[in-house]
Amino acid sequence: MLSRIADSLFWIARYMERAEGTARILDVNYHMMLEQSNQPYRLRWDPLVIIAGEHERFFSLYQGATSYTVLDFLGFRQENPNSIVKCISNARENARTIRDRISRDMWEDLNGLFHEVSRYCVAEVIATGPHRFCNLIKFGTHRFHGVTDATLPHDEGWQFLQAGRALERAGMTARIVDVQYHNLVEGPLSEPDNHQWMAVLKSVAAYEYYRRQYRARIEPEKVAELLLLHGLHPCSIRFNIAALQEALRAVSGTGHGTYANEAERRTGKLLDTLVYDRIEDVLSRGLHAFLTDLQRTCGAIGEDIARTYFYYPVAE
Amino acid sequence: MSALLDGYDPGDFYDEMLATQGKPRPHYAKLYTRLSEMTPAQLNERRQLADLSFLLQGITFTVYSDDRGTERLFPFDLVPRILPRSEWQLLERGLSQRVIALNMFLQDVYGPQRILRERKIPRSLVLSCSHFRREVVGLQVPRGIHIHIAGIDLVRDSKTAEYLVLEDNLRTPSGVSYVLENRLVMTRTFPRLFHRYEVLPVTQYPIELLEILRTLSPRTGKRSTLVLLTPGIHNSAYFEHSFLAQQMGIELVEGRDLVVDSDTVYMKTIRGLTRVDVIYRRIDDDFLDPLVMRADSLLGVPGLIGAARAGNVALVNAVGNGVADDKAICAFVPDIIRYYLGEHPILRSVETYVCSEPAQLRYVLDHLEDLVVKSVGESGGYGMLIGPIASRASIAQFRDRLRIDPRNYVAQPVVSLSRCPCYDPDSGGLAGRHVDLRPYCLYDGEKVTIVPGGLTRVALRPGSLVVNSSQGGGSKDTWVLKGEE
Repeated sequence: MLSRIADSLFWIARYMERAEGTARILDVNYHMMLEQSNQPYRLRWDPLVIIAGEHERFFSLYQGATSYTVLDFLGFRQENPNSIVKCISNARENARTIRDRISRDMWEDLNGLFHEVSRYCVAEVIATGPHRFCNLIKFGTHRFHGVTDATLPHDEGWQFLQAGRALERAGMTARIVDVQYHNLVEGPLSEPDNHQWMAVLKSVAAYEYYRRQYRARIEPEKVAELLLLHGLHPCSIRFNIAALQEALRAVSGTGHGTYANEAERRTGKLLDTLVYDRIEDVLSRGLHAFLTDLQRTCGAIGEDIARTYFYYPVAE
Repeated sequence: MSALLDGYDPGDFYDEMLATQGKPRPHYAKLYTRLSEMTPAQLNERRQLADLSFLLQGITFTVYSDDRGTERLFPFDLVPRILPRSEWQLLERGLSQRVIALNMFLQDVYGPQRILRERKIPRSLVLSCSHFRREVVGLQVPRGIHIHIAGIDLVRDSKTAEYLVLEDNLRTPSGVSYVLENRLVMTRTFPRLFHRYEVLPVTQYPIELLEILRTLSPRTGKRSTLVLLTPGIHNSAYFEHSFLAQQMGIELVEGRDLVVDSDTVYMKTIRGLTRVDVIYRRIDDDFLDPLVMRADSLLGVPGLIGAARAGNVALVNAVGNGVADDKAICAFVPDIIRYYLGEHPILRSVETYVCSEPAQLRYVLDHLEDLVVKSVGESGGYGMLIGPIASRASIAQFRDRLRIDPRNYVAQPVVSLSRCPCYDPDSGGLAGRHVDLRPYCLYDGEKVTIVPGGLTRVALRPGSLVVNSSQGGGSKDTWVLKGEE
């Protein structure tokens, strides 16, 4: 497989995942905020921008964080390389450069989603509420993954899609939790904190699961445990790092107990921590420090993958 | 008569459908009946269905210098163009003859140059051609094939009903993907009509091309690597590149995916370098190899020509074919056919005045208002003057250009192109629009294989004679019948 094609597949998955994550966060927070609008305390829009890792760019474009500016920025703004519309368009552009290598169904599905998304604008989404738009993205990306699973041979190209998706998802969950970390304090949760944590769970589609699993009030430690260390829920960081490891091993053909390249070494080491550490261990070291480290590692793994499979040093 | 055909007037043109007002030609009879049964609303509904299908499949092309975004649908007209078998067989014979003779011409020009020494064609005309490539003189191309793929533009003259060659495209002719996609959409939108006719299939084209590519590999006995080299996603024909690569099951590569080491071409894969044997390149000669051609090209591969010269890689089409489809050389193709094959040319060309010949230039300058003037190296409908409809200013401008650089121009009389019925969005009914025909010819060194039909391009603007996609043209599915009707 051409390196450029593997690279594109990896990034199609990352962009789709990024679009989906952003749509979920927007959707949940927007509606949460509406519910709370009559309360004395104020929920704030700026954490959403921080989750996207775009704090500086945002404030260079807008005066402040309001429902309009945040929706515009995260949803539509061309200057934001991670806005939903931009992600879908990047994914589609990548697919266009390799459309001979993906299934016709995948292309038609993604191309259709792109054209559908292009019909929306921020004013309209504000007017009718962002739910429909966010749902379009959410189910659009799910459908794309489904179409991919059903029509693309599960060969090394498919593995690069899986790797991209898992890596992006792990990073997204890490950012969502990290932004809320300051709420992780001793003592009972305040009412707004409680709502924020519910929003977090809902934005990664884990709210109902949490209720069933823990049968308890929202407790930050338990939320952190679910989102970081759970072995089976597809939103958890551990789940995704394990999926990443599986995909990387499938590409290189490496068995258990060893590694073929730097990306696999780093992934394995990180997975060890996520499997064998308990949430108390993580919290005692400081959640913020842990998540910062983890995001840095995810970034490094992405670079390792590129160095191993995508880039050729310039020949003399 | 239904509203769809109300007011349909063949006019003073050869109408492909009607022999005379209200009377269809035998091979159009079934279509004519079907159209008579349909209402404009029904046709429009199918038209929207077809458009949506193209949009969703992303079958688009890029228009340069259009700021409305890079992609546009290539307008598709639902009414098929139909050719009876006998008419097609004549074209097939004529096109085969032409391709074989032009290939011999290229072997000669880049080899012994017999035709120049014997002065059958002016040496200066050939050597001054901007597409003549000194860099590949003496390069032995695999199996002696220069023209693997040719797209030859034919028009039908309304005055004589005869097919004439308008121009040859021997470098990187495009459009064949539309032939295949148009057919697919047609069979979906008009299944019953399609069934009532016996239409020769077109889907075999990619397989036939693949077979030719395979035979060119310099490595025998091994599993060779065939690739299609594209300039990338911003090229106007990108969809086609990707489509053909997929249909042939070969790798679609860009220049940056390839590297040349010791005169051998490799592609960069996730498992290291893999040797490449045959390159169906859709990059112009100029951009192919910055070491030999344009040094500023970022699209090509440094060292590619060296690898071809060493016989380690086959390039399809060969480098330098532009000398044979130069519009001034086109005027000499009948001589070329007679010289190499000793045969009488089966297809006539549109009469062409070569402006580098002083007497012909004088005639052209005196008759600019009646002629079409074309730049010899351009394609896609760029850089031309259509005398009868041109403004005085642009005629004056061309007069100057012709005097300064006569070698760069040819002129042709305005051919009154035949017309086909097309959907007219203004009236909601059908109206006659001018068409041409570009068949795609594949040459394997022994015989020429031609996809039955080819791309019918249509000038969708009322009265327009320009069929190029970049100039408001569209296309139609072209049906060659198994029999006469």
